[in-house]
Amino acid sequence: MDWDEEYELIRSGRAVPRAGPSFLTRDGSPSNDDPHTNANSTTRHQQPQPPAPAPAAAAAIESVPDFYPEEAEQGTPLEQLTRHWMNERHAPDILPAQEDLLMNLLDHLRRQSEAVQLLREDPSTSEEEHIRIMLVQIEVERVKFIVRSYVRTRLFKIERYARFITTNAEIQTRLTAAERDHASRHAILTDQHFYLSVLQGLPEKQSHLDDTPLFVPPMVTEPDKSRPVFVHALQRCPRVRLPDGATLDMEKGHISLMPYSVVEELVARGEVELI
Amino acid sequence: MDFDYFSIEAILAENQKIQCTFKHDIPGMGHLGGGSERDIAMLSKIQIPIWLAYTIIYSDWAEFNIPAPFSSRVRNALKAEACSVRLSNLVGAGGLWYGFGKTIMDIVSDEQANEMSDMLSKAFRDRLLEVVDQAQHFAALGQAGAGSSGNTAQAFREGLDTTERERKSSLHHKNCKIPLEQVQVFYLAQESARRMKRWNEDSDRTRH
Amino acid sequence: MSLPQSLRASVSPPELELIASQQLIEIVPLISMEKTAFISGAYGPLRPPNKARVPLWMAVNLKMKKKCHIVAPSWLNVEYLQEHLALELSQQTFSSLPFRFTEIAKVILDVASDDLENPDKIRSLMKDLREARQAKSREGLKTLDHSELSLPNLCSMEINEIRPYFVQSMSILTQLVRDPLRNA
Repeated sequence: MDWDEEYELIRSGRAVPRAGPSFLTRDGSPSNDDPHTNANSTTRHQQPQPPAPAPAAAAAIESVPDFYPEEAEQGTPLEQLTRHWMNERHAPDILPAQEDLLMNLLDHLRRQSEAVQLLREDPSTSEEEHIRIMLVQIEVERVKFIVRSYVRTRLFKIERYARFITTNAEIQTRLTAAERDHASRHAILTDQHFYLSVLQGLPEKQSHLDDTPLFVPPMVTEPDKSRPVFVHALQRCPRVRLPDGATLDMEKGHISLMPYSVVEELVARGEVELI
Repeated sequence: MDFDYFSIEAILAENQKIQCTFKHDIPGMGHLGGGSERDIAMLSKIQIPIWLAYTIIYSDWAEFNIPAPFSSRVRNALKAEACSVRLSNLVGAGGLWYGFGKTIMDIVSDEQANEMSDMLSKAFRDRLLEVVDQAQHFAALGQAGAGSSGNTAQAFREGLDTTERERKSSLHHKNCKIPLEQVQVFYLAQESARRMKRWNEDSDRTRH
Repeated sequence: MSLPQSLRASVSPPELELIASQQLIEIVPLISMEKTAFISGAYGPLRPPNKARVPLWMAVNLKMKKKCHIVAPSWLNVEYLQEHLALELSQQTFSSLPFRFTEIAKVILDVASDDLENPDKIRSLMKDLREARQAKSREGLKTLDHSELSLPNLCSMEINEIRPYFVQSMSILTQLVRDPLRNA
C-alpha cells in the first residue's frame, strides 16, 4: 500500500482537517493552527518571478514560537504516536484507534512536504536553505515510516481477527469506520473462500464457521490476552493482581514481563506503556 | 502452543494416540482398533487418537492410563537429569511432548492433572536455559563455525538447521532430543541473537 | 501481508534505533541555521561555535555532511563506562543506564568516533557491559514463571533481544500451569 492510499484509508474514516504548524509558518504567527496561514505563505512562492524572491523565501521559513503547549504531560503528537505505535506492536489485542492524533500528524506531514516542494522549485533557494530542506525531508520520511508501520500493525491484527470483529460490538468501538469496513469485507472474502473451496461440499450442519463443538477450540479466533508483554510504568500504578494470585504495586519506571490481561486497563489509561 | 482452531500444532498434538480400556461392548466399531474385528469387546485395550478419546472418555465408554511419555519412569528420569531425556523420542514424529501432555491434562482427574502440570512446567523450566544457551552459542558461531562443537551441541545442530524445510525433516532425526515447543524457543532465541549481531556489525550509515 | 512475519513477534533493532534517534543531543554546529519548526519540535538557531540541542537523527545527518561535531552524552566516555562496568560486575541487579543507551552509543560510535576520546576503548567497554548484563538476563530466565518477572533497569535493546523467547516461554508456561481458579 502506498502512502496516498493509506492516507485515504484513514481519511475516509473521518475527514476533519486538523492542523499543526509547518516549517513554513512565520515567526510569532498566532494562527499556527489555521491552514489558511500556510496557504497564504505558500502562494507567495507560487507567484511567477516575485520581485524579491530570496527575502520572501527566507521570511517564510522564519521560526515558530513554542507550540504544543498542552503536551507537557503526554509529549508531542509524534511522541504520542510513537508510544501508540509500540503499544500496538506489542499488545495482542487491538487498541483504540487514534484518529485525531493521526489526522493531525498526516496534515502536518502534508504541509511540510508541500513546503519542501515549493522551496525546491524556487531557484533562489540558497545553499543553507538546502540543508534545512534536506533535514525537513528526512524528518518527513521518519514520521511517515512510523505512521505506516502503525497503520500496518493494526491492519495485520484486523485481518487476523476479522471474523471476531464482525461479531463483537466492543472491539468495534476501538476501530475507525474504515477499519470496521475493512474487517467485514475481509471476513466476507475468507468466508466465501472457505465456503466455495470446502464447506459447500459438506452437509448443511457442518458447513458453518462459527460452531463451538465440545473439546475443540472455538472456530472464531480471538486475541489471546494471556500473551505476555513487557510493561514500563509511566507513573505510580494502582495495584494489579497477577496470575499466581500475588499482587504488584508498580512505581514509576518499573519494568516487568507479565500477561497482557493484567495490565490491559493500565495500557488503556496510559499509565503504562509496552516496551 | 497457541491452540486456536486453525493451529496445526494443536491438530498434531491431538493426533497422538492413547490406550483406552473399553468398559462396554461397542458393536460395529472394531475398525477403530485398526484390526479386522467387527466389534469392540468390553475390556479390550485400543489405541485411540486424543481427539476421539475426549468423547469416548467423557461418555464413560472407556478409561485410560497415563501414556508412557508421562509415566513415572520418565518423571524419575526428568528428576535426575532434565536436560538429557529425549522427550521428542517419546512422542514420535512431530515431537509435541508438552502439547500432548497439555491435552492429557485436560481429560484426567484434578489430582493427576496437577501432577502432570508440575512435571511439564518443571521440565520446561529446567531445560529452558540449556536451549537458550545453545541457541545463542550457535548464533554467535554463525553458519561456518558450528561444526567444531562437542557431542551434545552436535546433536542440537543436527536436529536443528536453518530453514523451515530442513527443520521439519530434521525433527525426525533420532539425535534431536527436544520437543517442537522448545525447538521454537531455540529458533526465537537464535534468530534474535542473529538480528542483534547483524545490527551491531552493520555500521553503514548511508542507508539513512 | 500487512506486517512481515519477522516483525510480528518483536521490533527490529533498526526500528528501535529510529525511535532512539529522536532524543536530543548536543552538537557544535559548523553552519548557521535559523530556528526551524519540525514536526517533532522547533530546533535551532544554529550559530557556530555555540552549542545547540537537536535530535540525534539531525546530528547524524549534519555530521555526515561534516556540518557539525557531536558532543558525547555525559555517560559516553571511558571513565563513566569503567565505573559502571565495575558496578555492574559487583552487584546482582541491573545497574541504571539511560533506557536507549545501546542505540544511542552505537549511532554515535558509527558516525562520530572522531568526536569521542578513545572510541576503541569505549567500544570494548560497551561490549563488556553488554556481556555482564546478558549474564543477568540469563539468571532472570531461571526464575521465569507464568505470572510475572520484574526486570528493573533493563534497557530497550536488551528487552528487545530477549523478548521473543521470554514471551514464548512464559506463554507455554501459562498453558502448562493449571487454571488456579479451577483448583480453588
